Amino acid sequence: MDIAEVRDRAGPREFNAGDDMPEEYREAATRMIQFHANSEIMGAYLERPFVRQAPSLDRKLAFSAKVQDEIGHGQLLYRAAESLGVKTRDEMLDELANGEGKFLNCFHYPMDSWAETPMIAFFVDGAAMRRQATLKSSSWEPYAHAMDKVCFEEGFHVKHGEDILRELMNGSRKEQRMVQDAFDEWWPRIVQFFGPTDDDSTHHGFAEEVGLKQMTNDQLRSAFLNAYVPKAEQYGLEIPEYPRIEERDDGTYEVRESDLDWDEFFAIAKNDYEPGVGQIDGRARTQEAVEWVRGVLDEREQAAGTTAAAAD
Amino acid sequence: MIWEVFRQEAAGDYHTHCGNVHAPDREMAKQFAVIQHGRRKPAHSLWVVPQDEVAEVDEDEADFGGSTDKSYRWAMTYNDVEPAAREVADSEAEQAEAGADRGDS
Repeated sequence: MDIAEVRDRAGPREFNAGDDMPEEYREAATRMIQFHANSEIMGAYLERPFVRQAPSLDRKLAFSAKVQDEIGHGQLLYRAAESLGVKTRDEMLDELANGEGKFLNCFHYPMDSWAETPMIAFFVDGAAMRRQATLKSSSWEPYAHAMDKVCFEEGFHVKHGEDILRELMNGSRKEQRMVQDAFDEWWPRIVQFFGPTDDDSTHHGFAEEVGLKQMTNDQLRSAFLNAYVPKAEQYGLEIPEYPRIEERDDGTYEVRESDLDWDEFFAIAKNDYEPGVGQIDGRARTQEAVEWVRGVLDEREQAAGTTAAAAD
Repeated sequence: MIWEVFRQEAAGDYHTHCGNVHAPDREMAKQFAVIQHGRRKPAHSLWVVPQDEVAEVDEDEADFGGSTDKSYRWAMTYNDVEPAAREVADSEAEQAEAGADRGDS
């Protein structure tokens, strides 16, 4: 299939491993899905310490279930990426460990206190879910199918995250202040979640033309702000003055991009931002520590392969 | 030899199990599947899989979803908040439906 035909046919769930896709499509889809898979893994690692630090048994159980879900989402997405035939799962996991693998800006920042958890568990997950809901219509069928399952599970994550926010904002003055401080710190990063304005986005044009993604960064960010700014206000959070966000006449939002730190954003995008580097290395060490588990599985698989071949 | 057949109704749908066929090899299994399972009901693609290659685990041996209370991992548990956006509400509705299908109260 050539690019012209791909553009022509590009509808929801149109292409799968049985189609002869051009290199350019397969590489663009791999880049996008690998980024998504890496983000699931790095997000899970960011939240993992809170299984231990959760303030109650209910929260501990929920965090543990959530971290398990996110790792599962990573697995689903590496499978969807692998089906494009560009990279194997092992290659992608190695790239994540050696610092080549890219992932979401928000997961490069450390998260230290319980009061910060709604920033990821409600706002970032909510932003991710906004985006993922549109990706159910991606033209790469294995990606869209992965999104069906991811979105099915995410409703729990986002509502649980909001429940933590609700609880803390109805708690003591100190708790409220801690959440507001966390919000002031995280809000610009959350606004940057969707990336730079459409004009500055390098890969967007092609990905949209071939149906890999459905909505622009601006559209997604606007839809997110529309739903989540009122939620923040409902719980008594004050929206920071910067970045300035203005509502347009049609109800969408315009963000003053110059109010945001794009040097930091692009350093993060290159995996050059220090806390993020520490988190990448931390995960690499964990991966290394359980190398023996993969070794055992590989041995079993090889042994089974030999037996099956002998039986034939 | 028996081959299990999975039919996908339209591009982008899931392949779901729809029956099986007798066939001596993979090529014949594909042909028979086309004739038996792709003739009347809408079919965009079929998979055939040797029955021996299908491994099963059923409810007698596994506690699907676990036997303890796992309400903490369902969106419906968090009733003090309204879903923040349509996609969150959609997800909760799907979970409620799955819970009902499982026979949860």
